[in-house]
Amino acid sequence: MQSPSLPFFMDLVARTDESRRAFETNSKVLDIVANGLSVERYRKLLLELYHVVWHFNPVCAAAASRITDQHKQVRYFLYDHMQEEKGHEEWVLNDLAFVGVEAAAARKYNASLHMLALNGYNYWAADRLHPCSALGMLYALEVIASVYGGPITAAITESLLLQDERGISFISSHSTLDAEHMAELRVILNTIQSDEAKRAIVDSVTFNFFHFTRVLEAV
Amino acid sequence: MSQTIVNGLPSSLLRSYRYIRLEWNPEFSALTAKFAVKPIQCYSLAAMAELQQIFNDISASPGLVRHFVMASDVSRVFNFGGDLSLFVLLVRARDLDSLRLYAKRCIELVWWLENAAQLGVHTTALVQGDTLGGGLESALLHHTVIFERSAQAGYPEVLFNLFPGMGAWNLTIRKAGYAVASDMILSGKIYTADQLFRRGLVDILADDGGGDSALSQVLRTIEPRFRGTLGALHARRIALPVTYESLQAIVDHWASTALGLSNRDLRLMERLARAQVRKVGGAEEGAVEEIKRMELDTAWDVERTGQSEWATLS
Repeated sequence: MQSPSLPFFMDLVARTDESRRAFETNSKVLDIVANGLSVERYRKLLLELYHVVWHFNPVCAAAASRITDQHKQVRYFLYDHMQEEKGHEEWVLNDLAFVGVEAAAARKYNASLHMLALNGYNYWAADRLHPCSALGMLYALEVIASVYGGPITAAITESLLLQDERGISFISSHSTLDAEHMAELRVILNTIQSDEAKRAIVDSVTFNFFHFTRVLEAV
Repeated sequence: MSQTIVNGLPSSLLRSYRYIRLEWNPEFSALTAKFAVKPIQCYSLAAMAELQQIFNDISASPGLVRHFVMASDVSRVFNFGGDLSLFVLLVRARDLDSLRLYAKRCIELVWWLENAAQLGVHTTALVQGDTLGGGLESALLHHTVIFERSAQAGYPEVLFNLFPGMGAWNLTIRKAGYAVASDMILSGKIYTADQLFRRGLVDILADDGGGDSALSQVLRTIEPRFRGTLGALHARRIALPVTYESLQAIVDHWASTALGLSNRDLRLMERLARAQVRKVGGAEEGAVEEIKRMELDTAWDVERTGQSEWATLS
């Protein structure tokens, strides 16, 4: 479906649509959206998410430090994004505390192999493949948060009888925040001209959707 | 035109598809495309690309396919129309260009079906389950529309501040008149197969499980008068034309309207999508029941407060 005449965001949406749908239609993901989670599984999800958030800014920083002046707009975009995401791991820790997991235990939690693979890939891609691949990580995570975060929040809130945003603040707030980020991400993705950078971003989106799906499967 | 049959299909139609299963009936030169975009049957980008490929193959071998039939491989669902998650993604990204591109791909399919008679192909929609929005638009595009009795359909888009943009107005007005089109599109209501039959949108109402025999009957009836039927259908188009320009203008307007959807509208869209997911997971009620609940809630709330409950959703 690749077309050189398309703005890159549109091209990216089309080229990775099957990866997005593979996430959306995964039976475990469907079950979470339909029925929510038990408190044990929700704790595990948050513990896994803590590792996504904790490594998010270092991956972006690794990418930003390697981006050449050809893509300096991406570097600046990552600076701004890191600033916005700074401290969000505390939101996960707060939600974990609400469901009975102390911060110290959360920090000691050994992430699943798929989470390690996801974070490992993102560091490696930023370092060795192409630093713009960090935009692929952002795209996948922001699509998951802004498109599916709302229904997942509703399902978990119902299944655990949560009130307000207590215990679900991280997922709930990111479903709104990342909705705003999607528009900014589209603008920056449309500035990418290099085929090498585009390929790296597409690969990163595919990998991030795939492994994030595996992480949810294992919860 | 005769062709080698490979794996049950004429060789020029033989391709590997992920979301569409093709069946060939050599007696009538009838090609049936059974959609299986599991677990949520909708017009995803990939499914639309596959359907476009099938249409291209039919056009490339004139005379090979005399009948095209669209049906579903998913139990109790014909098609739920647009890919709601993709819409949410594109609206959140404020991406008018991609919304237009999606819409353009839709109307390319609409345009092929609209011109099928000129290509020598009679088309039939065999609807054996619920169909919404773009799914209903795609059914109404066919020359003959068969509904099984328990199937339900409607255009729910207005419930989340959108409208069906891929031919609904043109096709519904042409088939059932302006009043029916207005009622259906502006109310967002769901209709039974019987109600649609009485409004003239459904040509044949079959009992549940009787859709396939109704289809065979259609093919048998048309076959001896095939050229005359296609000639008449082509003349009908001339009498009541749907132009590409009007389809294009409407989808452009649709894309702009979609971009104006609020967070509340998107939440309602997500609620529908979630209802359908619950049904896939084995729940009795899905998107159709959720739409009926929205209609009831809205009506009750407006009656009670003069204001829709949905207006307060954020």
